Amino acid sequence: MFPDPVAQPHPQRRSKAVDVADIGRVIAEALADGGSVCIGGLLKQGRPVALVREVIRAGRKGLKLFSSPASGYDVDLLIAAGCVAETYLPVVTLEHRFCPFFRDAVERNTIKAHAVDALTVVGGLMATTNGVPYQPVTAWAGSDVIDLNPLIARTTCPFDGTPLFAVQAIRPDVALIHAQEADEFGNIRHLSTMTYADALIARASRTVIVSVDRIVPAEKILADPTGTTIPGFYVDHVVQIPFGAHPTASFPNYSVDEEFIDAFADIGDAVRKDPNRRDAVEAYLDRHVRDPRDPFDYLDAVGGYRRLSALEDEARFI
Amino acid sequence: MSRPYSTGELLAVLLSRDLQDGETGAAGAAALIPMAAILLARASHAPNMQIAGEMFVNPYPKVLSSSMLDDRALGKCEAAETFVELFGHSHRGLDFFFHSGLQYDQYGNVNLHCIGPWDRPQVRGPGAANFSYAIRSRRFYICALDHSPRSFVERVDFLTIPGNLSGPESRRAAGLTHQGPRYVLTPFCVFDFDEVTLKMRLMSLHPGVTLDEVVSRTGFAFDTRADLSETKTPTDDELHLLRTIVDPGGSLKSIN
Repeated sequence: MFPDPVAQPHPQRRSKAVDVADIGRVIAEALADGGSVCIGGLLKQGRPVALVREVIRAGRKGLKLFSSPASGYDVDLLIAAGCVAETYLPVVTLEHRFCPFFRDAVERNTIKAHAVDALTVVGGLMATTNGVPYQPVTAWAGSDVIDLNPLIARTTCPFDGTPLFAVQAIRPDVALIHAQEADEFGNIRHLSTMTYADALIARASRTVIVSVDRIVPAEKILADPTGTTIPGFYVDHVVQIPFGAHPTASFPNYSVDEEFIDAFADIGDAVRKDPNRRDAVEAYLDRHVRDPRDPFDYLDAVGGYRRLSALEDEARFI
Repeated sequence: MSRPYSTGELLAVLLSRDLQDGETGAAGAAALIPMAAILLARASHAPNMQIAGEMFVNPYPKVLSSSMLDDRALGKCEAAETFVELFGHSHRGLDFFFHSGLQYDQYGNVNLHCIGPWDRPQVRGPGAANFSYAIRSRRFYICALDHSPRSFVERVDFLTIPGNLSGPESRRAAGLTHQGPRYVLTPFCVFDFDEVTLKMRLMSLHPGVTLDEVVSRTGFAFDTRADLSETKTPTDDELHLLRTIVDPGGSLKSIN
């Protein structure tokens, strides 16, 4: 029998919005030491850097780090803070220069940086979203990456016996993603042109945490469903963090803070050449990650609205 | 050496001449010169060029940027795809793509991973986002800004991007059927690949560069084409288009 409609409880739809003051606790609960985390965006755009700083503040160690296929500042920050044991990152670069902490950690053998490429990560995430144990790949041959990649195996096509590769399904414990807008139910809208692997990462991960520039009324989502890039049922928590991607960009709202990224890389390069300068890294992490009580404090420390409005201007005029 | 163009402009012009009307191709991250080449080709002899395969579709950038993969660089574009579609392009292949790296060897293999042994590298490089286009695309170009015995080596320490592997037999064994590396452009010369041995072969010297200079900068022995020539430098028209339409900000001028 169907339940008595009168006796049915009528709870309110649950909001997935997290107050910015609680986001550290949410991340600490979702991600254990030794867990796997996958970061959205790409290179210097749409990286959830405020959420990444919360991972460091939570003191997480031994993480397995995944990302959309190209990453830079934020993964270098996690490595600088000693959070990472293994990386599954296709390319790690600031484009005009190397990521110094990644480079140093690999050369000193303090992290295990697996040789993976874009198809490994994308194919592995696709397998999870499709509910299958692996994704076949044919476009690999001749590269050393194949033999050193722990996520892939050789197989054959079950129909005609053609040699194939397979990448095993990747299911990150936690996805960290940044977008421009969401409603309180976690319906995500990217206003940027590029969305990279964000929707794929959200579909493949166990717990999905998204920072946005603005939480908007649900009516805005309903008025334009084609604008929804990640439906709310894939999202566990959404948090409004102004300039939450800084120093990476959140187009069309604000641009890349190249100077800030370079200053960090300069510290990394100095420490790589002279390990006695490690205190410079700790000072950086204190100032920009550990000491700020919340993201507003962080924004004050990086130069406040004077600096941030310049990044807004830059985004408006590209 | 005084000349009316920079190395960046020269290489962009040379690459653009080889891209054909109606072809589909793209350039990835950190690819200022290749992107300039694509845009120059589209602005001159290849109006039906389809710029696709790296998520952006037919962009009209306001400024030439070192990365083509963010909104800043795209300006207007006709569409944006995601990594899911990139996975598909990787399997279908493009007409052309571009690569550069830490090391290049005589067979046109490219190393983006490490100098020294993998387990204990002297230098760990950035790694490769996507090397499938080297295998699946009809051809690719190597654009090398460092041409020295350190970067042009007999055998790459790590084979990230497969060129001609170790010759025709190895390509057959690996099932590589496309042309692979077509030209290698450096600040000093252009190499093509010998049709039989699939090794790099000197094709042209940039003005003012001597054969001895290229020999001393290259860490392996190479053959020279019988018709070795001087590189055909950019025309006034090419430079005008490059500087007014493709790169009004002058990013290529600082690449020397």
